[in-house]
Amino acid sequence: MLELKGVSVDIAGIRVLRDVSLRVPPGGRVALIGRNGAGKTTALRTLMGLLPTRAGSVAIDGTDATTVPAHHRARLGIGYAPEERRLFGSFSVRENMVLPAQVLKLAAAETARRLDAVFTLLPELRDLAPRRAAGLSGGQGKMVALGRALMVGTRAVLLDEPFQGLAPVLAQRYAEALKRLHEALPDVAILITESNPELLRPLVEATFVIERGEMAPG
Amino acid sequence: MMEWFSDNGLLLGLALLDGLSYAALVFMVAVGLNLVFGVLRIVNVAHGSLFAIGAYTAASIGIFFASLGLPAWAGYIALVLSALLVGAVLGPLIERLLLRRIYGHEDVLQLLVTFALFMILEDVQKLIWGVQPIMQDAPMKFLGTVDIPFGEDVIPFTAYQLFVLPGVAVATLAALAWFLRRTLTGRVIVAVTTDKEAATAMGIDAAKIMLLTFSFGAGLAALGGALASPTTSLVPGVGASTIVLSFAVVATAGLGQIEGAALTSLMIGLGRSIAVYFAPEFEVVVPYIIMVAVLLVRPQGLFGVLETRRV
Repeated sequence: MLELKGVSVDIAGIRVLRDVSLRVPPGGRVALIGRNGAGKTTALRTLMGLLPTRAGSVAIDGTDATTVPAHHRARLGIGYAPEERRLFGSFSVRENMVLPAQVLKLAAAETARRLDAVFTLLPELRDLAPRRAAGLSGGQGKMVALGRALMVGTRAVLLDEPFQGLAPVLAQRYAEALKRLHEALPDVAILITESNPELLRPLVEATFVIERGEMAPG
Repeated sequence: MMEWFSDNGLLLGLALLDGLSYAALVFMVAVGLNLVFGVLRIVNVAHGSLFAIGAYTAASIGIFFASLGLPAWAGYIALVLSALLVGAVLGPLIERLLLRRIYGHEDVLQLLVTFALFMILEDVQKLIWGVQPIMQDAPMKFLGTVDIPFGEDVIPFTAYQLFVLPGVAVATLAALAWFLRRTLTGRVIVAVTTDKEAATAMGIDAAKIMLLTFSFGAGLAALGGALASPTTSLVPGVGASTIVLSFAVVATAGLGQIEGAALTSLMIGLGRSIAVYFAPEFEVVVPYIIMVAVLLVRPQGLFGVLETRRV
């Protein structure tokens, strides 16, 4: 479904990824483990097409997508929840979630269906829907970011350190939501980054480890 | 106090009316500058040149229309045409050929490039329109003057400056607020302003939105210039004075709030014109005194939201 093949990436002239390869099979649940600054976020942003590669290639569904513009990812069914939730603060939760569907020009019925599916998976979002995104707590924001990613992520979602900074109770809720997600939508591939490998062990089938921008034996 | 009023009431009334119409023009420029900075993250020093070119173009079209023997109201079509031309031709040209290359570069480089563009556009104006003053006040004369009772006195004031300028500014403010909140394109612009990368991940073509926003801002600046053109004779340097003032407005208002830009334009417009009438030697500094006073208390501007910088 998603693949990095020998990818090298520079940010501001500094090599951040060196010959990185990883593969997320269709419907697979994959963890990318690494310390802070190891290159996890960069790997996700590269998959999303948000950073240019210096070497190697990005493939989506086996086709080269290295130069496919980032904004086409949503159309291909790939959702992305960045590390710092990064919601649109002046919009309501509902507007945040609906925006990507509107941008993709989905029919109103399809948008409503997807919204309802996300509300079923993440019931707390139903209550949060009318609230302004800027006023949410960190944990609520992460849930909304997941919900928003799922609105377009019909084939894969990339979740960047969703457990970072979550209180244990909230982390537990988030993990349960991910389990429900996999049970309800087994075809949606999930790629999660995390610094603590133990946390994700029960949630994923495969683990990649990244150290200082290079793949390490997992 | 009362004595002062009976002596100076008329002047004060004039200052308020002048300030209002001036604030309307400043708002047209500042709101575009604000939008463009929000989406492109570039401080466009050449934004004032678009005001000047809008003014000159409107005057030229107006003079051309008059030479065809068209009635005086056609001058208003000239104003709108000028804004459309600058927005649809010059805007995309500048964004595609120049600004697109410097997105995400250091602030210094961006300032140098847009400053260079400002210098180029100033000379282009001189090449096309020369340095002799150009006057095309048909749209203003067309509406005549209104006598405004002010205490025992009467102030004759042009209906154009009294109604058209503030009217267009208020209509622009309302239309823009509606557009940004209620239409998909508007909401997409807000999304890109808030977080370009997150917006891109949502499927938004940020490059397209940047082109659109810049052209729109250019059109607004040109409309401001076109609206200003009947009230004054056009000379080189019109762009520079406008841009400096609208920078003061944007800095004072803070980023993001168009209503804030409107209120601040009013503050600075009125402040400046009161200075013109009562302390002309302070005319140039008054906008900056207001700006500094506000920024000392609220560094993010009157309406700006304090944002922690993401690393």
